[in-house]
Amino acid sequence: MVQERYTHLQMIALVVMRVLIGWHFLYEGVAKMLKKDWSAAGYLKAAKGPMAGMFHSMANNPDVLDWVNFMNMWGLTLIGAALILGLLTRYAAIGGAFMVLLYYFANPPFIGYFSSQATEGSYLLVNKNLVEIGALFVIAVTYSGRYIGLDRIFYGLFHRRRRTVEERELTGATV
Amino acid sequence: MSEKDDRDLQETGPDKKGIDRRDILQGMATLPVLGLFGYAVHKQVSYENATVAKTLGTGQASNLREVNVALLGAGAQGQVLLDAMLKCPNVRFKAVCDIWTDYNLKKVVNILKKYNFNVNGYEDYREMLDKEKDIEAVVIATPDFWHSQHAVDCLKAGKHVYCEKEMSNTLEGAKKMVLAQREAGKLLQIGHQRRSNPRYKYCYNKLIKEAKLLGRIVTINGQWNRAVQPDLGYPKRYEIPADKLKKYGFKSMEQFRNWRWYKGLGGGPIVDLGSHQIDIYGWFLDARPVALVASGGNDYYPAETREWYDTAMVVYEYETPEGRARGYYQTQTTNSSLGYFERFMGDQGTLVISESDANYANAIYREVTAPAWDEWVQKGYVTAPKVAEVKEQKAVLDVRESVSPDEHKIPVEFADLYHRPHLMNFFNSVRGLEKLNCPAEIGYETAVTVLKVNEAIEAGQRLEFRPDEFEIS
Repeated sequence: MVQERYTHLQMIALVVMRVLIGWHFLYEGVAKMLKKDWSAAGYLKAAKGPMAGMFHSMANNPDVLDWVNFMNMWGLTLIGAALILGLLTRYAAIGGAFMVLLYYFANPPFIGYFSSQATEGSYLLVNKNLVEIGALFVIAVTYSGRYIGLDRIFYGLFHRRRRTVEERELTGATV
Repeated sequence: MSEKDDRDLQETGPDKKGIDRRDILQGMATLPVLGLFGYAVHKQVSYENATVAKTLGTGQASNLREVNVALLGAGAQGQVLLDAMLKCPNVRFKAVCDIWTDYNLKKVVNILKKYNFNVNGYEDYREMLDKEKDIEAVVIATPDFWHSQHAVDCLKAGKHVYCEKEMSNTLEGAKKMVLAQREAGKLLQIGHQRRSNPRYKYCYNKLIKEAKLLGRIVTINGQWNRAVQPDLGYPKRYEIPADKLKKYGFKSMEQFRNWRWYKGLGGGPIVDLGSHQIDIYGWFLDARPVALVASGGNDYYPAETREWYDTAMVVYEYETPEGRARGYYQTQTTNSSLGYFERFMGDQGTLVISESDANYANAIYREVTAPAWDEWVQKGYVTAPKVAEVKEQKAVLDVRESVSPDEHKIPVEFADLYHRPHLMNFFNSVRGLEKLNCPAEIGYETAVTVLKVNEAIEAGQRLEFRPDEFEIS
């Protein structure tokens, strides 16, 4: 199989997308931390769709709710920072996609369901959550962190690898 | 990352380990984004703080004297009051007291820590009163059957008291509070927070008293309809030991969590919910009731866990300076249709008011036969009318039917926490700047009015109020 390589421009486009998603995650996390009494309870209670029961029970169990709140705040914040910095990019992208998938199912734009949250657009099966999941999938399977990101440094430090002058460009890119 | 990934990415060439300048530069290239993010968040937070300060008026209020406060009762209602108090300027929290030490007490102490109040937590309020000498005011949000003892002891200790409604679950208890307040010469505000709500004050002062838009109020109806709710639970690992529960008057953890439904502890929905609204009936009518009939019962929930009536309906008779008036009120806990509101119906207009921003409420309707309100619209007392759409009449309007009246909105936006104005009124009264909007005597009148509903349901007959029932000598 011939390995397709990305041009610089393509790599930069991936990095830009990664940073934008990272910013979104980071602010979602930080904003929750800044609101001292933030809780996911309201969101969970408004959940609809086939998994609504699970989300409702999360909201009604104080212990679980504490954990959900903690995981949301820190998960979003850390994943956001990791995506911006290109650190453990792949794990951050997979973790992020999983979180957004939960949000997707908490309020799914399925056929015949009416959104329980005020939305600013019209969605049928596909909504912005799903689009973000798709984008995170792209980030998870490409190596933008090894092109621009801390992963590049760690990768260079800890991985024995074959590198040539040509290959250096490949850590992403050919001209 | 797997070996295969590596291979995919690598070209052939000699092994090489380590990084060079270019790796470092490209590796850290997105770091400035975090700086930009920090700057943007900082700007956003400053903007939000400035907006909050502007709406709350806390910016200019910094010259208010600081008041040292303790919270007695840190449960659900205590936390509602806490949220509101945290938005009152220059309130300094000194202590919190709750018997659920591992849960509510810990939670509230931690919340206050986040706001830089290093408060002490207490299980026993007496210990708190002994140790915390510089507390000036105590805010009480304990179960109703504790109110009297808590308030009386706090007043005796020289503290001003804000006590949640219902003042007490018994009239003897409520009476002791009024007497203790008089004796101590301290303030006692009862938590009927609509008394300080700008919308309610506006309707009473401007629309009813000044513009007299309703004419003579002859009938009232109001309700608080609430959906079915299961009993409140609790995390098992935070269960309070049985002997401790007993010490504080509870038979079980279930009872502790659901005390509102138990006789001897609370008063049921008519007291929890109705009390707020029935209080407004007397206020807006300027009258006390002379009699009532009531019907209610334990129609839906099992009587073992819900001793008080889940459904209650009552009709009060009032003698107002302008003549007789009747007020209907219902509370039920099995269906939430139309939520909660109070509707005052005069011979010239109807006022529908609610603490909430429900779209069917907070409007005033002119009777077609009443004099025009153009003057009041021009002065801005009410908004221009939203004229009822003329529907194509299939049948000729029945002569007995009235034309539906025009709707005017009440031009008072209230986007604040419900309890904040009432607490502000209390703290400003402590500072000597205002007078209490719901002092002990008013709370007592409402307690007399409301507790009688349960009595009338039990008696199954019309009961009369003696005028001296409302007085404490």
